[in-house]
Amino acid sequence: MRRWLTSREALVTGLLVLLVLFTGLVNPNALKFRSLVEVVNASLSLLLITLGEMFVILTRGIDVSVGSAAGLSAVVLGLTLNLGWPLSLAILAALATGLLAGAVNAVGVTLLRVPPIIMTLGTLGIYRGLMRILTGGSWIENLPQNIKALNLWHLLGVPFFVWATLAVLALTAYVTWRARPARYFYAVGDNPEGAYFLGLPVRPTQFAAYTLAGFFAALAAVVFTSQIGFVSMNAAEGYELKAIAANVVGGVSLTGGVGTPLGAAVGALFMTAVHSMLIFLGVPGIWDNAFAGVILLLVVYLDYHVRRTLEFRRRQARVQGEAAWEAEGGRS
Amino acid sequence: MSRYLKTWEFALAVLLVLEILVLGAINPTFYDPENLLYATLDFMHILFAALPLTLVIITAGIDISGVSVMGLASITLGLAWVAGMNVFVAAGIALLVGVLAGLFNGVLVAKTDVNPLVITLGTLFMFGGLAQGMPALLDLLGFKAYGSEGLAAYQYEGITGLPEAFIALTEGTLGIVPLPLLLVLAFALVLGVLLHRTRFGRYLYLIGNNPEAARYSGVPLVRALIYAYVLSGLGAALAGVMLTSYMTSARADLGSDALLPIITAVVLGGADILGGSGTILGTLLAGAMLGYLRQGLLALGVTNDLIQVVVGSILIAAMAAKQLAHWWGERRLKRRALAGRGRG
Repeated sequence: MRRWLTSREALVTGLLVLLVLFTGLVNPNALKFRSLVEVVNASLSLLLITLGEMFVILTRGIDVSVGSAAGLSAVVLGLTLNLGWPLSLAILAALATGLLAGAVNAVGVTLLRVPPIIMTLGTLGIYRGLMRILTGGSWIENLPQNIKALNLWHLLGVPFFVWATLAVLALTAYVTWRARPARYFYAVGDNPEGAYFLGLPVRPTQFAAYTLAGFFAALAAVVFTSQIGFVSMNAAEGYELKAIAANVVGGVSLTGGVGTPLGAAVGALFMTAVHSMLIFLGVPGIWDNAFAGVILLLVVYLDYHVRRTLEFRRRQARVQGEAAWEAEGGRS
Repeated sequence: MSRYLKTWEFALAVLLVLEILVLGAINPTFYDPENLLYATLDFMHILFAALPLTLVIITAGIDISGVSVMGLASITLGLAWVAGMNVFVAAGIALLVGVLAGLFNGVLVAKTDVNPLVITLGTLFMFGGLAQGMPALLDLLGFKAYGSEGLAAYQYEGITGLPEAFIALTEGTLGIVPLPLLLVLAFALVLGVLLHRTRFGRYLYLIGNNPEAARYSGVPLVRALIYAYVLSGLGAALAGVMLTSYMTSARADLGSDALLPIITAVVLGGADILGGSGTILGTLLAGAMLGYLRQGLLALGVTNDLIQVVVGSILIAAMAAKQLAHWWGERRLKRRALAGRGRG
């Protein structure tokens, strides 16, 4: 129980609740069920991208191409739909695009041994360029009604996509908690050499992480394309950085091996809630990025401070323990 | 002599010459010396930011907030000028803002163990948001700092109508050499001397190779790191000021798409993203190579989108080639060692 209370997930969830309650004090509208559902609904695509990015960060990698991969998947979704493909096939094509985009990163990182930040920075440009080449630079509009209709389904007053994303989150959380291969992500990120000497499939695990990041980016593409109803050429631009920030806020460590899907999800929810709550507080949207940056820095600084204090206490306790032992004449 | 022929910088120089020859062969107007010199104006901001970033990457750090500092410097310059300051004083303030931004990054990186990518990601958002919000904030405080067009108009056009004397900064030449190019070269020279000829420069390499060893051998780790990030902030602000003069308008989002070319220039220039190696000359040559490639392709009618794909592919191909060459070299060494043991 105590371990859970001092976890990063609890810290960020607490901050999130405080933020919403504080906003509710100023503007009670923020606490209405509909507003809260709307905040969650607005966070879905970032949440999915963040979950995918989490696998990469767990293996001590980084993927800055996920925003572009999501954009490319959205373009494939839009183009195939406008070609008259049935919805299910178009979604499959988009998911395949994401998988492929992730697999290209995976090949670069695991087989060509290009450092992750370089590989994905390269594909960040490549995927974004490709999506503009595919469409000739114009937005994809006039999407058929069936994709927009997905966003209109509701169950118990909550949009279908919220339920679907929750299901994906629950599944991811369960799998990373229980399934043996999913624990490899942690082992590889925590200590790559150690994992190798234990006989774990290090490179296949890294390969899977980047591919999953691409797949989740494509899931996000399906969600935001349905929500917005068109595909702009800036779709999901900058999401790679927001997803990294959300992971860090949610306690997924860039040094690898530490973090949970729930933490990542709360991080993504937090980053979106900051934007929504600022609107409820009447702060112009122009300040969003400044606040997001300050909050990210605050959270990592707080975390650093807490870790340092704990370490200091641990050392102090050890020194005192040794002193007490010596005072009892323990030196032999 | 052969020692120099084998360096990565020499290979880059050869590639740069080859590239200009090939692009010129396809499009003869490219050969015009004046054209070649003026083309640098289109990518000077990449060089201004990439050159000092080399120092940061050598320490195994990274600074991705530079693109936001460019916009922040630009908008600071514009607002200070609108508020009635001499435009060159305003430019000085913009550079100071860059130094302060770098100082902020540097202190956080040097004093905590938080990953520099996370810190500069936070400041990328923070400085960018500050740049966007500053006109509105000044408006809120009662300063009509955005000029006569009104706050809404400013969002689209930026602050225009800057004095001729300031615009001349990027239009001026010495002989036929544009002033910004001279400034880039001077900046590179200063950074080159700092990095390759002073103790500070050696510290940076040591920190990048082995921070623990650096700490135990009495290297002023904190100070050296802070200086590196301050230089990076200053370079980004210089880029922002020069770009403002070149574009004749001060904007908060100036240079926001420069992140990919900036890091590509440093990495293609031979700096190891994991720290410990890199040279100013390499970054300068790689930046020029990328800049001319872009110019040449644009002149040939290649779209911006395709160029983005080409630049990304070059970055990956260069790194993959380097990694494979390294792996091949290691293998040969191991084989040789095994063969030697067999004979003994």
